[in-house]
Amino acid sequence: MSARLQASRASRPSDAELISAREFLPGQWLQTYRAPSLAASLRPGQYLQVDAPIGWGVPMRRPVTVHSVDRGRGEVSVHLDSADPATTWLSTVRPSENVALLGPLGRPVRVDPRSHQLLLIAEGPAVAGLRFIADEALTAGRRVTLLLGAHGAAEVYPSSLLPDEVEYVVATDDGSVGHVGSVVDLVTRYEAWADQAFAAGPPAMLATLARLAAGREKRLGVARLGRRGGRAPARGSQRARPRSWLQVLLPQRVGCALGVCLGCVVMGSDGPTRVCREGPVYEVDELTWDDPT
Amino acid sequence: MIDFLLNPVMAAAGCFGYGVEAEGQVDLSRLGAIVTRGTTLQPRSGAPAPRMVEAPSGLLHAIGHQNPGIAQVLERFAPRWATWTVPVILNLAASSAEDFASMAGRADVPGVAALEIDLASPDLARRGRPISLDPAAAARVTAAVRQATDLPVIVKLSPAAGDVRALTRAVVEAGANALTCGGGMPASGATLGSSTGTLSGPAIRPIAIRMVEQAHDAVSVPIIGCGGVATVADVLAMLAAGAAAVQIGTALLADPTLAGRLADELSLLRPPV
Repeated sequence: MSARLQASRASRPSDAELISAREFLPGQWLQTYRAPSLAASLRPGQYLQVDAPIGWGVPMRRPVTVHSVDRGRGEVSVHLDSADPATTWLSTVRPSENVALLGPLGRPVRVDPRSHQLLLIAEGPAVAGLRFIADEALTAGRRVTLLLGAHGAAEVYPSSLLPDEVEYVVATDDGSVGHVGSVVDLVTRYEAWADQAFAAGPPAMLATLARLAAGREKRLGVARLGRRGGRAPARGSQRARPRSWLQVLLPQRVGCALGVCLGCVVMGSDGPTRVCREGPVYEVDELTWDDPT
Repeated sequence: MIDFLLNPVMAAAGCFGYGVEAEGQVDLSRLGAIVTRGTTLQPRSGAPAPRMVEAPSGLLHAIGHQNPGIAQVLERFAPRWATWTVPVILNLAASSAEDFASMAGRADVPGVAALEIDLASPDLARRGRPISLDPAAAARVTAAVRQATDLPVIVKLSPAAGDVRALTRAVVEAGANALTCGGGMPASGATLGSSTGTLSGPAIRPIAIRMVEQAHDAVSVPIIGCGGVATVADVLAMLAAGAAAVQIGTALLADPTLAGRLADELSLLRPPV
């Protein structure tokens, strides 16, 4: 048992000290914590959980999205959205106060070593979960394009928060910034350029992208990325070569994050799958996609 | 008849899966016992997402008994349970006395210390009304299980019954060795993927305490209190209400080490006799 306990230490709560917090858009906050061991071990796509103190009436740990990581300084930035009422208490933490952060949790994104050009697709505040992918990709010498959809200018992730090297394209429903319409409409312009794509957003947007991705090979007439035939890569391995052009980040839900409560389960193409363990990042063909109604 | 418990603090059904999932992350040997996930005759893939949402001071959930079925559970997990010091109580869920009895008849294998019969399940014979709302239906299931096994039978009753005194008498007469009182109230929420779910957590603790009091008043078998227990004070309140043991549910999902810590704290307050 003791050896097993040692092995699971990676996912034990770390005491993290809040360094700074700022509201970068109305109702959207970034908090930066000093958490060296988390900063060293987190990979893009993974998430954290925080424990609300007794008295907040929140009986469960809350999932929290990692925005970015500064390994050199040992700092982790997390994204808070006031639309999620249960994270309200976290926004009351003041600089120099400590919070127990549990993580890293979940399976990270899989970037093929041969992929040079990555397309990131987001709708609304979910873009926060893609930012870390961009940072890591740029560090590795890859090129990154970010497509963002929003209702209007007040919801558009500020370009000042993005590295200069990221090509940033915005679509808004009201046309107040960038293109008019849905971010999904932009994807076909970049699908030939991108070796891989990563998406985050509401379920209907991800379902639309899933259908779009399914038709990509036919539209482009290109060979599929990765090997054809032969031995299949091991499923579930972090080193497994991506099979799909598109990977999606599913939103985290409240639950145990240990894989036991089955509260986060969604239907995968091979049966039920636990978002907390097998996810939150999935190859698009690992999931079943309902027609949006 | 629950003297196989190592101490009065148990893990409630669903919170540690089949134990093997939690084994590497929690010291299970500190618990009085663990109750497994609800197990059905046939494998079930469970309820649609979202299965779990927060409610004020509680958790609203509809997992839909996702499980690999009794045959797989006994084959894959029971040999492992047999090597543990912590007793494992197999939780069974079904919608008919026949299915309950069929599962109970197979479950007397090394590694299974007792059965917990979940009567919150809908009753196929009564148009889906929960079995535990009707004393006669609950007694019928209990008697069928009693006949099928020599294992201790713990019957889990839902607080939805309101006054549970008649119900507890009926299942004890039918052969229940112990009762689990509590476990969650039927509830609904627009953000849940299923039309109905179960509310658990601190919100239902006072309801579970009343249920324990009523059961303790009506029958003399051991009562296990289950509902919103999160602190040692909550454990003591359950024991004061008449419970012989408690199950920790929702609070374990927030902190899997909690049950072991509560067991340790309790042993300091109440040295074993």
